Amino acid sequence: MKRLLQILLFITAALSMAGTAGAQAAGTLKMPAYKKTRLKNGMTLLLMERHSVPLIGFQVIVRAGSAGDPEHKEGAAFMAASLLRKGTKTRNAEQFAAELDFIGGTFSSFANADSSEIAAEFVAKDAAKGLDLLSEALLHPAFPQDEFNKLLKQRIDGLKAAKDQAQGVIGAYYNAYLFGRHPYARPTTGDENSLAAITRDDAQKFYQAYYTPANTILAVAGDFSTADMEKMVAQKFEGWAARPAPAISVPEPAPVTGKRLLLIDKPDSTQTYFRIGNIGITRTNPDRLYIEVVNTLFGGRFTSMINSELRIKSGLTYGASSFFDRRKVRGPFAIATFTKNATTIQAIDKTLEVLRSLHEKSVTAEDLQSAKNYILGQFPPTVETSQQLAGLMAELEFYGLDDREINDMTAKINAMTLADAKRIIQQYYPQENLVFVLIGKASEIGDAVKKYASKMEVRSINDPGFGSYAASEGPYH
Amino acid sequence: MNSRKIFSSTIVAALALFLAASASAQTFDVKTRMLKNGMKVLVQEDHTIPNVAVYIFYRVGSRNERPGTTGLSHFFEHMMFNGSKKYGPGEFDRTMEAAGGSNNAYTSHDLTVYQDWFPRSALDLIFDLEADRIENLSFDPEKIASERGVVASERRLRVEGSNFGLLNEQLWAAAYTAHTYQWPVVGWMVDIDNWTMEDLRHHFEMGYSPSNATMVVVGDVTPVEIFQLAEKKLEPIAAHAPPAKVTTREPDQLGERRVTVRKFAQLPILMVGYHVPEAAAPEYYALALLETIMLSGQSSRLYKRLVDKDQLALSINGGMDEALDPTLFEFTAQPKAGVDAAAVEKALYEELDRLKTELVSDQELEKARNIALAAFYRQMSTISGRANTLGAYEVFHGDYHKLFTATASYSQVTKEDLRSMAKKYFIEKNRTVATLIPESAEPAK
Repeated sequence: MKRLLQILLFITAALSMAGTAGAQAAGTLKMPAYKKTRLKNGMTLLLMERHSVPLIGFQVIVRAGSAGDPEHKEGAAFMAASLLRKGTKTRNAEQFAAELDFIGGTFSSFANADSSEIAAEFVAKDAAKGLDLLSEALLHPAFPQDEFNKLLKQRIDGLKAAKDQAQGVIGAYYNAYLFGRHPYARPTTGDENSLAAITRDDAQKFYQAYYTPANTILAVAGDFSTADMEKMVAQKFEGWAARPAPAISVPEPAPVTGKRLLLIDKPDSTQTYFRIGNIGITRTNPDRLYIEVVNTLFGGRFTSMINSELRIKSGLTYGASSFFDRRKVRGPFAIATFTKNATTIQAIDKTLEVLRSLHEKSVTAEDLQSAKNYILGQFPPTVETSQQLAGLMAELEFYGLDDREINDMTAKINAMTLADAKRIIQQYYPQENLVFVLIGKASEIGDAVKKYASKMEVRSINDPGFGSYAASEGPYH
Repeated sequence: MNSRKIFSSTIVAALALFLAASASAQTFDVKTRMLKNGMKVLVQEDHTIPNVAVYIFYRVGSRNERPGTTGLSHFFEHMMFNGSKKYGPGEFDRTMEAAGGSNNAYTSHDLTVYQDWFPRSALDLIFDLEADRIENLSFDPEKIASERGVVASERRLRVEGSNFGLLNEQLWAAAYTAHTYQWPVVGWMVDIDNWTMEDLRHHFEMGYSPSNATMVVVGDVTPVEIFQLAEKKLEPIAAHAPPAKVTTREPDQLGERRVTVRKFAQLPILMVGYHVPEAAAPEYYALALLETIMLSGQSSRLYKRLVDKDQLALSINGGMDEALDPTLFEFTAQPKAGVDAAAVEKALYEELDRLKTELVSDQELEKARNIALAAFYRQMSTISGRANTLGAYEVFHGDYHKLFTATASYSQVTKEDLRSMAKKYFIEKNRTVATLIPESAEPAK
């Protein structure tokens, strides 16, 4: 339960923290040593030895995600990733599951907007078996028609079930409304319309186009010898033939101007769930650490301004936060919370008031020091396990970042001044241009929320999809 | 991160289930100290990262409540962050976060657990903060009023706003008639609205004696410094009477119970619960292995049958929580669109019946043990995982050492044991079935 909440509600920290690690005195954070090589076919391999626990973590990132889904086929990348283990050249889905479970391994594959990924973990003594399963899924998926059919039906029903819980779908509505015709508007897992149109061939085509050695990063961390692991990986992956992959074009999205509001009517709602924000930043934004410091104070931890006002002082909600989802190009920024139907207006007013106050009063020297301590103090446990370290190496490589991301972090954060904070607030926290997305009971709150925007739209939670995101259908907003 | 203050009966549970098979190489050195006031302190030194995890387990939860004030333990847990003598309202969190630390807490049927994660530089401060709130908690009427709103919002999020949460509440309410597990940890909404200051004071006096607590510290510390800090800050806090023993035992169930929830929903839900013994009972390890065989991974029996082969359900999960008193072994399935919950129920029973007639295979038993071992390693790979696990073993199994003998306990379980568990517990008389039936639109009011 706790973890659910962490993932759904308070993404801030995980998203915005690069992560660091290693045994070091409290002082400067430092990236542990690892080896980077490139196989002849162009695949990138990252290896980090750690012998604390007999586990090995694997992270695969393929440089193509749902932003590459064909129009009206949203979910194709996700289907492709999900089907990797559902039947391969030498194993059917059931055999794969049996072999994986028998050694107590984990394997999850999924797509994001910009990437398709596999995270897997095995006990060290089962390294060879684990690598065999991983390489089989990545290199030789068979995309059996019956498995495709099964999975598709599950996705369609899963979407129905998801709409029973506002908290689980508000992100999809928010992105669709905020990004309009931009590829980031599309729901990664698809919607009722796109899933009705997707075929097995769409998933396989996505795989064939984009899963190439040059597009692939494999990061391994844990209890192994680098030389042995390098040899094992080479044996499995060197035969993967290099081939060109088409480029996925994802333009920089333009921030929304003015104020507009989308209300999703969910007639059984006892609370209103809402997000307010605009287009945010990229993963590599040069101000990213400073933004993280300011966001820690604004909406990134328990005592943040937003949570203080909406929860601690007023009891309006169980939790309120703000986050920047940092991507290849600018991802969403949002303030997110929920409150009972009757206090919807009070909570939104309060949210806007806190945002205004951030601009008017900025932050104090004491706040700034507190946020710096918090970020540096909470950092080490985010990259404590082999799986986390494999994820970190792969992520840095994917975004073209390097060890400086970790090694320079302490000094950079400590150098931040109040003037820096002021600039960050002005530059990255929108006030006049805002998108509002609410899920709630329209008959109770619909009239009252009109005041927030010049343009308002109402949809039913029962309407298929999360919005309209086909670029070919012209401008949306 | 700040998902603080949750109520949950599932968290501690999942851990120990899998803590299973610790290999002999996987024991580690734990030092303990019993303070004069009865608080036990466990320390495991580990300098891999410059951080520390502190978990404090209070043996008080919704199990110790009474009708009219259900949910009080969970509400009280929230109040533990709202000010004490030295650190006023808001200061606990503000001070801890400014020193680089974060915290959380959860409440279950049996326990209230407080968690702190921080850089070692904040060690003294953390002991100061914890000691202050255990000894000198304040009861500010304004804070009580606003925190009531927070808890009500949490209940709306997890129960009213979640069909699974709503149905699960009904399952437990129907399965228990005498024992206090019958009400939800978060409490009934009407009770949330009605707690008084006196109720809170009483709860503090009842549950928060140091003698009712176990503290676990794991990370970049030495046992010597922790014991010194504990003697200085915690030992002076006076012990008082622990909660009254929970004497109620749920009588044997004498026939199936069924409960239905009808509400606006896209898909139905089926939940089935069987009464099983508490975590300290000898049956525990066999039941935990059964849980793995039935529910863990895509090769598990129920996933294969319900999700993969028959394609009746979108998902199947469940299991049992570690508990101080006899608990429920639960199965939760979401039928696919157009599938009657009854069809899922029938297939579930067929699989449970199969456990009673055929022995599981050697391969399945070995797989379950391997999964347990791998899960144990995962749990051991973080300082917070180790702190939580040591505490859970100490509290639910009576001794943290049992963590290190769990392997042996699992390897002693035979296929015949699994069959007899299934025959004894997975029977019609012993089960409660809860079904959520979707209504297409909200009924007119």
